[in-house]
Amino acid sequence: MQVVDEVPAVEVAGLRKTYPGGVEAVKGISFSVARGEVFGLLGPNGAGKSTTIGMLTTTVAPTAGTARLAGYDAATQPLLARGVSSVVFQDAVVDRGLSGRANLELHARLWGVPEAPAALRIGELVEAVGLTELIGRPVGSYSGGERRRLEIARALVSSPRVLFLDEPTVGLDPRIRHELLDVIAGLRGREGMTIVLTTHYLDEAQRLCDRVAIIHQGTIVGLDSPQALLAGLGREILEFRVSGSAPAALAALRDRGIARADSFAVGARVTVPLHEHAASSALAVIDSDRLHVSEIATRTPTLDDVYLQLTGARIAEAA
Amino acid sequence: MSAIAEAPSIPLRAPSRPRPASVLLTLARRRASLTSKTPRQILVPLLGPALLALVVAPALKVATGGLHSHIDYTSFVGVGAVGLVIPLSCIFAGLSVLVDRHSGAQRELLAAPVPRAYLVLGNLIVAVGLATLQVAVLIGLSALRGGAFHITGSGLAWFIAAALLFTVFMYGVAETLASRVSKQEDYVGATPVLAILPFFFAGALYPIGAMPAVLTAIAKVFPLTHALALMRYGFIDPNGKGLHDIWGMHSVTLEAWLSLAVVAVWAVALTAISIRVFTRSAVN
Repeated sequence: MQVVDEVPAVEVAGLRKTYPGGVEAVKGISFSVARGEVFGLLGPNGAGKSTTIGMLTTTVAPTAGTARLAGYDAATQPLLARGVSSVVFQDAVVDRGLSGRANLELHARLWGVPEAPAALRIGELVEAVGLTELIGRPVGSYSGGERRRLEIARALVSSPRVLFLDEPTVGLDPRIRHELLDVIAGLRGREGMTIVLTTHYLDEAQRLCDRVAIIHQGTIVGLDSPQALLAGLGREILEFRVSGSAPAALAALRDRGIARADSFAVGARVTVPLHEHAASSALAVIDSDRLHVSEIATRTPTLDDVYLQLTGARIAEAA
Repeated sequence: MSAIAEAPSIPLRAPSRPRPASVLLTLARRRASLTSKTPRQILVPLLGPALLALVVAPALKVATGGLHSHIDYTSFVGVGAVGLVIPLSCIFAGLSVLVDRHSGAQRELLAAPVPRAYLVLGNLIVAVGLATLQVAVLIGLSALRGGAFHITGSGLAWFIAAALLFTVFMYGVAETLASRVSKQEDYVGATPVLAILPFFFAGALYPIGAMPAVLTAIAKVFPLTHALALMRYGFIDPNGKGLHDIWGMHSVTLEAWLSLAVVAVWAVALTAISIRVFTRSAVN
């Protein structure tokens, strides 16, 4: 089958997964990822991100829906779909008894990379991820960060059109995490490779992704570029805690035209995107209505605010 | 640790399809490499059967006077011990499938552009190779201990065919079990039933005719009974007494082919089942 470059790198329609026992991990999601795009699935643990990656890599059988990778249907053309993709799993998925090099060579052979180009590619990648001195050692002796870098290198050996990174930096110490983010950022836009990554780290999504799908309890509740998602909340938000009823305080601000529909209250905390208003206007209303507030602050919005607005929970709390 | 350098440029390529033989060889080499790192998987299955061949069989021969037939009891048990070494070897091999799933590279293999049946078949190739080595060592030890083997070309062929098919059957059992259970404890718990119990009913230590009639009838269902009768027919029992105990016919050649067919059917069936169970359970 001829696959034209214009087809989306990833096409998902109505994808659903219900595990035995009736747990609905993914509830009919749809999205499309363009060639060369870095696409993020953002959400807390248990949101359905890894199950979605599993279905896209054909390692989890979907209950319903379709998924296409570079035009190849994951259900009816699984070998072709797997042939154009690689995945770095959330957990360590390596042969610990084998050397790092043996793990990379195994990937090259299974993905049909000829021997000479594979050797060249492995040499380049090992150097790029800083594993030159370790590559002959059994992977069981690697640290968590070293193992994760090896897995990223392994996924790149076959030059995939679509690279899946499932929580690539989870469990790593901050220094290694930032080094890995540099590696992933370095992959952006190279020869049209598409990256789909899952994360519950907001800074990762904001830094790396062209577009982000926010997943909550198996459904996509928001999908746009990080900038567009943030722009929806304006340039500045006002946040405060009330000692009385937070919904009542929010209603008072709405009545006075300070708060729009995108304002929200969670527990005793009220968040108000200011948009065209100045913080002083909001403070004046708070003062005149004698709302008992504390911890008043203004700040720029984050993706956590977007998530909170869309789902009513912070990502860290939902995890 | 040095800072991570910029990743190299990655020219994208069209998906290629490695040849089936190349894929199977790759998967078998991987399994062989992992197996070679765990010598206990090679040695432990040999210990019990070797003890049977080297100590128990000669001692029982002295104590009981043997089988009171033309067949030497030491060599009778020497071949019978094959009925223990192959199941134990395959059960150990199946355990590595569980390790693959829990802490190995199984998901990477599942994400590879190769038919998933090949993942089972690659493991099977190594299981057969390892069992062959262990059986050869066992027969060699039995011969050194005084076992009398009369090996001809056709006898060797019957022996190899029976041992090979029985190994394929047993690996199918092991792979199926490994795909069905979630914990190593459950897998190990099933080992005595699958690997050891049939050994006592299949004529490994005594002819099946020595058991009560109902047990003799049950024994004829086990592939191990047929495999042992064939292996003995090939190495120590050219008259095919063991085969006659099963079939009661006049043509020993026909009996041998029938027993081989029984073991082959079991082998094909369990291989098919193990592939189906693996491919379904691995993605569910």
